[in-house]
Amino acid sequence: MDRDEIIRVLRAFDACGLEYVLIGATAMGFHGIVRATEDLDLIIRATPENVERLRTALRQAYEGDPHIDEISAADLLGDYPAIRYYPPSGDLYFDVLTRLGDTARFETVDAEMRDFEGTRVRVATPSALYRLKKDTVRALDHQDAAALRERFNLKDDD
Amino acid sequence: MTEGRVEKFRSIEDMNRAPAPRAGQLDFERFLRHCARHWAIAPKTYPRGVFKFRTIEDAERTSRP
Repeated sequence: MDRDEIIRVLRAFDACGLEYVLIGATAMGFHGIVRATEDLDLIIRATPENVERLRTALRQAYEGDPHIDEISAADLLGDYPAIRYYPPSGDLYFDVLTRLGDTARFETVDAEMRDFEGTRVRVATPSALYRLKKDTVRALDHQDAAALRERFNLKDDD
Repeated sequence: MTEGRVEKFRSIEDMNRAPAPRAGQLDFERFLRHCARHWAIAPKTYPRGVFKFRTIEDAERTSRP
């Protein structure tokens, strides 16, 4: 995946009306905390219609990839709230979530709209990212949380 | 390309505290450029398709190549 591919995917999300919020390193990039990543993480609103929008958007971005048909509302709204999609380009993947932990859902993650080259992108706020990352078991999340806390003067109760 | 510059510091701590100049680039543009360099330097080959997990922790544990 390259720069243009990420932009093409974000454009497809926007064009298809996907209700999502970017989290993870890509979201941190919008807030000026830049580190490399190999995945693009997003939480989507958990409705069958929205899962269909996701499939439509991915079909626009990756025309002809039959694996997109394996993404289903039955899974994402049921027992499998986390799916990982590896697109044909092969060097970056998508983690798509409908819920994260006990409380994080599309509706509960504070977000703001950003514009990048004419494309609207819904990005988790720094404090929302901090809340998502500060209590996980992953060391990288702790580093991210520390960077967010320092950059945005966040407190533990933010 | 913006003009280069040199900054001097009395310690590594001072240097680490100093904000990096952004040269007018959008933050997200810097992110994209940074990732592009990373992918060029350390390319990886992933499997194809869709994998599903009960939690994101399961995804982190079981399938990150």
